[in-house]
Amino acid sequence: MTLSDLELERYSRQLVLPEWSGAAQARLRTANALVVGVGALGSPVATYLAAAGVGTVGLVDSGTVELSNLHRQPLHFTPDLDKPKTATAALKLRVLNPEVQVEEYNAHLSEENADAVVAGASIVVDCSDSFETRYLVNDACCAQGVPLVSGAVLGFGGQVMTIVPGRSACYRCAFETPPPRGSVPSCRDAGVLGAMAGVVGSVQALEALKLLAGVGRPLLDRILHIDGLTMEQTLVATERRDGCPACARVPAAPQSV
Amino acid sequence: MTALDLTGVPCPMNWVRARLALEELAAGERLDVLLDHGEPLRSVPESAREDGHEVTLDGNRVTIVKR
Ligand SMILES: [Zn+2]
Repeated sequence: MTLSDLELERYSRQLVLPEWSGAAQARLRTANALVVGVGALGSPVATYLAAAGVGTVGLVDSGTVELSNLHRQPLHFTPDLDKPKTATAALKLRVLNPEVQVEEYNAHLSEENADAVVAGASIVVDCSDSFETRYLVNDACCAQGVPLVSGAVLGFGGQVMTIVPGRSACYRCAFETPPPRGSVPSCRDAGVLGAMAGVVGSVQALEALKLLAGVGRPLLDRILHIDGLTMEQTLVATERRDGCPACARVPAAPQSV
Repeated sequence: MTALDLTGVPCPMNWVRARLALEELAAGERLDVLLDHGEPLRSVPESAREDGHEVTLDGNRVTIVKR
């Protein structure tokens, strides 16, 4: 698979990376990344994946753009108010990189549609803002053996972990049960600075690109915690749990990541 | 042996093209590139060496043997 002159020029600054290669770029082009949630985390994630040349970027969100979103969701602009987030994000991404196929799923991820939406993805990046959706995405990815980058931001705290089902701890292995209702506010109820979400989303995008290209060492069996106030970063080790209802019976992933 | 005329191609595009050409070669195979004097001739051979390839210069013709 050869890259066109325009692709060579567009991606030249990543193609000169010693760790990158034409083969890595070609792997991105054939990849299909699904971004669940096109808000504070999904904006930087979808932007960097599309800009880097991921062939197909799917966007899942049922929301419309609200004025209170704009401080942290840089894919949506003021004239986009009241429009579906998937549509306003897709518009920007297609202008950013016409080489990329952008697919819009203007729907709420639910138990009914999760398996169908995840099917065919080469990677899923969870940018949702609820525990319910995070477990749902995790379970669908585990069931289908699709790698997942899970991320969350709350106030000045951020967290990212990468999951290769059958090979590393899944979200359910690391967080067996959701925290009791009320003890942890959802992103919707809590304050957040856009720049902090941008940090977490950028880490998620980087993890997804590493995994797709097959370079570097992803956050497998490690949870990255970022404190935006002190800039302290902590890696917390985690491991697969026997009898995990999501991933215990998943066979080891065939691909070497 | 593969040859690539990269005169008129500025940095870092010249190195991008040379790297992609090297990717297609097997270890020990050789790539000849023609480069402009100045930054290209200073920087492309250096980049190739940093990637571990064997590099020899003859005027503005650079021979890279893939490691
Ligand atoms: Zn698990």
